[in-house]
Amino acid sequence: MPETIITTRNFSFYYAETKALANVNIDIKKNEVTAFIGPSGCGKSTFLRSLNRMNDIIPGISVEGDVLVMGENIYDKRVDVVDLRRKVGLVFQKSNPFPKSIFENVAYGLKIGGMKNKAELSDRVETSLRQAALWDEVQDRLHKSAMELSGGQQQRLCIARTLAVEPEIILMDEPASALDPISTQKIEDLIFKLKENYTIIIVTHNMQQASRVSDITAFFYLGELVEVDSTMKMFTNPGNKRTEDYITGRFG
Amino acid sequence: MQSHFEAEFGKLKKTIQDMAILVDKQVDDTLKALLELDPGLCKVVKARDDEIDRFDNLIQEQSENLLALFQPVALDLRYIIAAMMINTQLERCGDITVNIAQRTMKVIKNKELLLDSEIPEMARAASQMMHDAIEAFTTGNIDLARTVFDKDDIVDDFNKKTFKYLVRKMKKNKDQVEPCSHLLVLSRQLERLGDHATNIAEDVIFIVEAQIVTHQNK
Repeated sequence: MPETIITTRNFSFYYAETKALANVNIDIKKNEVTAFIGPSGCGKSTFLRSLNRMNDIIPGISVEGDVLVMGENIYDKRVDVVDLRRKVGLVFQKSNPFPKSIFENVAYGLKIGGMKNKAELSDRVETSLRQAALWDEVQDRLHKSAMELSGGQQQRLCIARTLAVEPEIILMDEPASALDPISTQKIEDLIFKLKENYTIIIVTHNMQQASRVSDITAFFYLGELVEVDSTMKMFTNPGNKRTEDYITGRFG
Repeated sequence: MQSHFEAEFGKLKKTIQDMAILVDKQVDDTLKALLELDPGLCKVVKARDDEIDRFDNLIQEQSENLLALFQPVALDLRYIIAAMMINTQLERCGDITVNIAQRTMKVIKNKELLLDSEIPEMARAASQMMHDAIEAFTTGNIDLARTVFDKDDIVDDFNKKTFKYLVRKMKKNKDQVEPCSHLLVLSRQLERLGDHATNIAEDVIFIVEAQIVTHQNK
């Protein structure tokens, strides 16, 4: 059995008075890809962003229950949120490179973290770009602006930027929804490769993408975690009628 | 960088090819057991069918998962569809070999009757057909696949001749009715092996050329 890296217990989430998530209980396993699927507004992105407290920036939110990341309750007052987000990185739907060079984009988090040694920085930038399957395409233009890259390259750059600070877990919020099929496939292949070293959680509206990339699929509906199981089971013989109706397109 | 799909698809390809190689050996051994009337080899054949059945289940599972999880298209889709069809053919060949082995045990004392019939030649022809169909599949050789179609007519002719021969024998001597009946079944099973080999060859054409040739080569 793979080791559990995230556990939530009776986790509920409120936007002011509105309950967006109700009593979510899930164990996320290390070095696996877990996909969150469900219709718009089901709470899957809210849940994803709860896992590194990215929702904290929204005024009026509140939570109940526990989220344990590597055994630590991340909603404990003593938790250093910056350190949490280093350990649990987030890749957004729309690629958001900084208006800086390719090199500076990847080195940014490392410099903030105090790394000054140029050789060390270069090494880490190269390793991260290689891991993100972007090195071959950008090695000759590391000091050119990141804004010159294509959409798919920019998204892989954002993944490299996340990898540079050596997270344990990578959250991806619809990472390929703005990309063409070839760039999408590159991101999917990358996810498959990255799970050797990282735990990945992906939110996707594209059910086929969930089926292609993930080991575990969790189906959310109306703020509730309806079913979570191996992706094979979920897409061939789900246990819950609502899951079956959703994945076969018979919803509502 | 190998994609997730390629990794999973590679597993199915290996499973079906391993199964095909096993069934090729199974057919070879079965027909050797028949021609040499070897009870020991008949037992080996019967025991091996469980292994073939396990491949059958595994291929069904791997194919279903590939279709459900990866939405394959074009050549990949055809290969998976053909793998499912070939799997069925191979599994039935496994059942036929067990049947042939059982009948062989029943005619062990009737060596002369067997050797006087066309069954030994028919067995060699059916074995060659199966071997060629499986090689055509594992190597994607459509020219070899097409040669299998012609041989099917030869095996069918052997079956008809054997039928007439055995009916003549039975009419002549009532004591021969029982062994001749076993040989009739054997002949029919060999003819079925030829049919399955033909079906596999048709599936090879489907994979490589995207043409459905079933029911067209007659």
